[in-house]
Amino acid sequence: MADEILQVRAQEQVTALGTTDIVVGIPSYNNARTIGHVVRAAHAGLIKYFPTWRAVIINSDGGSTDGTREVVEQANLDSQELLMVNHRQQPVQRLTTPYHGVPGKGSAFRTIFRIAELLHSRACVVVDADLRSITPDWFELLVWPVLEREFDYVAPYYKRHKYDGTITNSIVYPLTRSLYGWRVRQPIGGDFGLSGRLVRHLLGQDVWATDVARYGIDIWMTTNALAGGFKVCQAYLGAKIHDAKDPGADLSAMLMQVVGSVFDLMGTHYAVWSNASNSESAPLFGFPFEVGLEPVAINLARMIGAFAQGCRDLRPIYAQVLSEATLEELDRTAALAPDQFILPDETWVTIVYDFALAHHRRVLNREHLLKSLTPLYLGWVASFARQTETENAAQVEERIEKLCLTYEQLKPSLISHWGAEKR
Amino acid sequence: MSEFWQRTVVQPLQDLGQQAVASLSSLLGMVILILLGLAIGWLAKIAVYRALRALRFDQLCDRLGVGFEVERLGLARSSSYLAGQFVQGIIVITALLAGLNAMRTQWTQNLVERFFLFLPHLLAAVVILVVGALVSRFLGRSVLIAAVNKGVPSARLLAGVTRFFVMTLAVVASLDEVGISRTTIIVTFAIMFGGLVTALAIAFGLGARDLARDLLQTQFKPPAKAESDDPIHHL
Repeated sequence: MADEILQVRAQEQVTALGTTDIVVGIPSYNNARTIGHVVRAAHAGLIKYFPTWRAVIINSDGGSTDGTREVVEQANLDSQELLMVNHRQQPVQRLTTPYHGVPGKGSAFRTIFRIAELLHSRACVVVDADLRSITPDWFELLVWPVLEREFDYVAPYYKRHKYDGTITNSIVYPLTRSLYGWRVRQPIGGDFGLSGRLVRHLLGQDVWATDVARYGIDIWMTTNALAGGFKVCQAYLGAKIHDAKDPGADLSAMLMQVVGSVFDLMGTHYAVWSNASNSESAPLFGFPFEVGLEPVAINLARMIGAFAQGCRDLRPIYAQVLSEATLEELDRTAALAPDQFILPDETWVTIVYDFALAHHRRVLNREHLLKSLTPLYLGWVASFARQTETENAAQVEERIEKLCLTYEQLKPSLISHWGAEKR
Repeated sequence: MSEFWQRTVVQPLQDLGQQAVASLSSLLGMVILILLGLAIGWLAKIAVYRALRALRFDQLCDRLGVGFEVERLGLARSSSYLAGQFVQGIIVITALLAGLNAMRTQWTQNLVERFFLFLPHLLAAVVILVVGALVSRFLGRSVLIAAVNKGVPSARLLAGVTRFFVMTLAVVASLDEVGISRTTIIVTFAIMFGGLVTALAIAFGLGARDLARDLLQTQFKPPAKAESDDPIHHL
């Protein structure tokens, strides 16, 4: 019978494989420069740590035109070159297939999950195709908790520069933690391990024609795992270094996609998060070690200027979303000198919660709402960067912890307003 | 003599009396129709207001940006209430015209006939204006947010110009629909638009070339790419 997710050739290949224990999925789109390294790392990881398990590496491609699929097919997986102590008893299979459906990472994941389901795999790992810092150890850390400790979801834990991942630090991590009561430090990391049970659960959700298929698959998976009561843990992977980012990537579009996905999920899982209070750490596996991080230059003056302009020019929009007290606080902050610029945690959390409420109530067009958050977000980044200028990684983490606690303290107010009618 | 008296005095008086009775009954009919219209209009307003509130019409209008404008301009206490008032107005006007028609004079009948011929154009003009207002507001806000996020200093000016042009188009189209000085309006609009384009062209090409360049650079040019691009990986 024809499979509505897989192409005929991929179906035939999957049928020929029979069953497997571990599936490694690599979604790609024009990643010819880096995907060879990722495939070789996956292969080496499987040889080194899972020599007796049956495994397959799947590349789910979105129609690359730079030869990505050819790179995967021709990647040299000769284990002689890797100087491995272990000798693999089961050959690692390799499969590359274009995916069906809405263009996006979510559709690529769907294809990987479907193959994992057909192969009755016990563990499925997904990793980004543009990684430069991936090592064979990542696969042990992402697979082992699933196979040996019966965890359903392994989220990554990276060592990042203090100015790296600021959307994660300011919104996604603290908000997800406050809502669902679990501390998963990198909820949108991009590299995850999943159990076969969770794969089947995700595949059964009716979301594959929505924005989840285009973007937001990472936070959707994390939120589903947390809200669905699956066993969640974290794996320490060290540094995460991507290929050079797309220079055309627009911050406001990125913010709209990520924050919009989190807000959408708040509507779906209200029954869960409205009953969760405080938070506890998801277990962390791996050996935390220090890594050298590339310095990140930051233009504080430009960010403060963008914040001030937003407060001035977008005030009519903010007046529809924020309270009078918050607007006054924004005016006061915008008037501060750059060397005294601080956006208090309470103000920032109130802003995020008010935007979530406005999104829920559809106070105005959602794209307008989410994109108008950009100047305020830049204000938070500027404030955070100024306050942490001389701080080390541990002190920065303490500061983020304080922000998270503020999110948790103000959550009852969010719950009380969520169900209330506007008028 | 009596026949003369009958023809010149009594008969005209009798005719006058009959006309007065007929007019009075028409007048009474008109008053009853208008009172009925007022009562039905009031009831319809309440019914429409409550039905729309139940259907969450206010939330829909808020999303479209209409609710905010209704409140800002003080048109009504909510969009649902404004819709109720609109229905009430239509019923009252219809009752008023029916009342006038009941007078059965040539003038009132002509007035009613002309009004009903004009009504579709009036409604079309109102629809054009409302859609124009919504589109201008939406596009203006899109331009404003995009310009602010790109760091364009005159973001509000750009948004205002966008709203002005879309609204001007809507006003011209709606006035054209109701046939008010059609030619004059189109010519005025063409002159305004052409004049603006010509002025810009002259500014660019002739005397104010340097000034125009400096002005445009300071007002509309976003910061240089090296400045605007930050190396932060936000996700």
